[in-house]
Amino acid sequence: MMELIGLSKSFDSKPAIVDLSLRVEDDEYLTLLGPSGSGKSTLLRVLAGLERPEAGRIMLGDQDITARPTHLRGLGIVQQNYALFPHMTVEENVGFGLAHRAQDPVTDTAEVARRVAQTLELVGLLGLERRMVGQISGGQKQRVSLARTLITEPKVCLLDEPLGALDANLRERMTVELRKIRKALGVTFFHVTGNESEAIAMGDRMIVLDEGRAIQIAEPDTVFDAPATVRVARFLNAYNLLRGSVQGGTFESGEVRMPVPSGAQSLSCAAVRYDAVRVLRSGAEAEAGAPALHATFVASEFMGSKVVYFFRMADGGMFEVERHLSSSDPETYGEGEHVTLSWRMQDVLFFDANGDLIELAQAKGAA
Amino acid sequence: MYELKTLRIGLAIYTALFIGFLYGPFIVMGILSFQNGPDGGPQFPIIEWSTFWYQHVLGFAPPSRVAPLPIGEALTRSLTLAFATMVVSTVLGTLTAQAFRTKFKGSGVVFYLVVLGMMVPGVLLGLGMALVADQMGVDRNWWSTAFVLHVVYTYPFAFLVMLAIFNRFDKSIEEAAWALGVPPGKTFRKVTFPIIFPGVLSAMLFALTLSYDEFPRTLFTGGSDVTMPIAIYGTFAVEIHPNLFAFGVLTTLFSFALLTVYGILMGLTVRRARASGIQEDI
Repeated sequence: MMELIGLSKSFDSKPAIVDLSLRVEDDEYLTLLGPSGSGKSTLLRVLAGLERPEAGRIMLGDQDITARPTHLRGLGIVQQNYALFPHMTVEENVGFGLAHRAQDPVTDTAEVARRVAQTLELVGLLGLERRMVGQISGGQKQRVSLARTLITEPKVCLLDEPLGALDANLRERMTVELRKIRKALGVTFFHVTGNESEAIAMGDRMIVLDEGRAIQIAEPDTVFDAPATVRVARFLNAYNLLRGSVQGGTFESGEVRMPVPSGAQSLSCAAVRYDAVRVLRSGAEAEAGAPALHATFVASEFMGSKVVYFFRMADGGMFEVERHLSSSDPETYGEGEHVTLSWRMQDVLFFDANGDLIELAQAKGAA
Repeated sequence: MYELKTLRIGLAIYTALFIGFLYGPFIVMGILSFQNGPDGGPQFPIIEWSTFWYQHVLGFAPPSRVAPLPIGEALTRSLTLAFATMVVSTVLGTLTAQAFRTKFKGSGVVFYLVVLGMMVPGVLLGLGMALVADQMGVDRNWWSTAFVLHVVYTYPFAFLVMLAIFNRFDKSIEEAAWALGVPPGKTFRKVTFPIIFPGVLSAMLFALTLSYDEFPRTLFTGGSDVTMPIAIYGTFAVEIHPNLFAFGVLTTLFSFALLTVYGILMGLTVRRARASGIQEDI
């Protein structure tokens, strides 16, 4: 188990990580979602001992490793650009740490070879042992990088955007592979990414990092269904955000009027998921009492299993609607066609003046 | 289109002139080295083609009125000095460049202090060193005072070469090795050094060639046992014979051999680097 306690780090007095505390459990897949500039790379570098934090401690088990040099930490790191040793073969790359590490090096070459073969089999690279790392593909490099780290049996394996440089097809396959490999070894993966669907799909738990702070730590479905703040909702890239204010007991945003959930003092924003919205052609009326707004069709994007429609609201903002083709056939709209967008009150999330989520139960109670 | 053509012709003439001036002296020297001996002098026309002067340099020619070049010992000295300078300067240059990879206090001042060694005019530096040595009662020798100045002169070159190499070095490779539990010292030996090796070769070549034909600094500080360039200069004072040219051709061939070895070593590492995709942008 690894524990971060009040970690802070800044560059030229610009804060990169602010008072971050976190427990990383044994044998779990933890993903960290952060947009670029959120401090996620800095956090990884601090954990790996490549940067020194200004405040806070890092505990690994019952040992304080905050000031320990990188090579004595027992943490593995898989870099975004793989950082393979260019002058070595695949085999030599994978065996390098095992044979040359400071603590408990394996000096028996036969033993190194045996474990290299074992690890290469685990990541599916058998047969490439003697290739130079320049002669293999991006996906294979990724696996070599992973194998090289896993063979040293780190307590926690840090992965810095491990799928970022792969093409979409490969990314999907590696998503499954990574989870499988982790499960087989029982090692903790701490996977950092800027991609929300990756964070949601892969993590047992996920952390949302924003401006150096962990703003939500929860299971992915909780984060997705109940983003803790407006910013989390925005990172998830699955919510239409309607900014507005409370006027005489109702939440007003442009033409949209919605009842204020009980107990809420002030509201700044409402969020409606892309796939919770109904599109009504002109003439059709929204259900009585259901919130609705008028918009014009801009464009649609076919994505295989779903279609995403883009509408422009009266105030110029964009509104996205997602339709899953397993549940309905795609609709076609003419450019500039006027439609009414409507949704149910129980699908709305409200955020207070600080941008924090107002508890779901209360919102439902009000509807 | 027209302008482009004039530009092309202009550049072609410029290049031709450049190559002419670069190789002209060597070609003239090469032709004259085959002058008839021992009667032929260092001028055209060639009386008769012969390899007499080559035999003369190598000591195979029968005794004649032309004294043999006093180069045997001077050559050994120069090569020893150049080799020692190469080793010391390359090690110092590499270590200094490694230090400059992380910012440290006063790095700007240190940088200029190091580079000063190749900026200060050699004659002044040689003269100054001679004065200091005399003041302190230190004997001037090619292996002491001159050696120090050779290092002072070539070390900045080695340093700058290595600085450029480290600039392009991907630090994350080292970090990966550390994260695997490999201590920094071993990481440098097993990972960093093999990757920067082509650069080290270049730095070595620089230091070797600069030291080998160094003149002004050695003139004042080398003492009575002269090095190669000074021995040759000494023969000018009496009379010039084509044996000098023969020797010139031989040393040039030696330099080419050295460059070829360098090229082969470089080619090997570059091919290995290409095979491993070091230039590939990820």
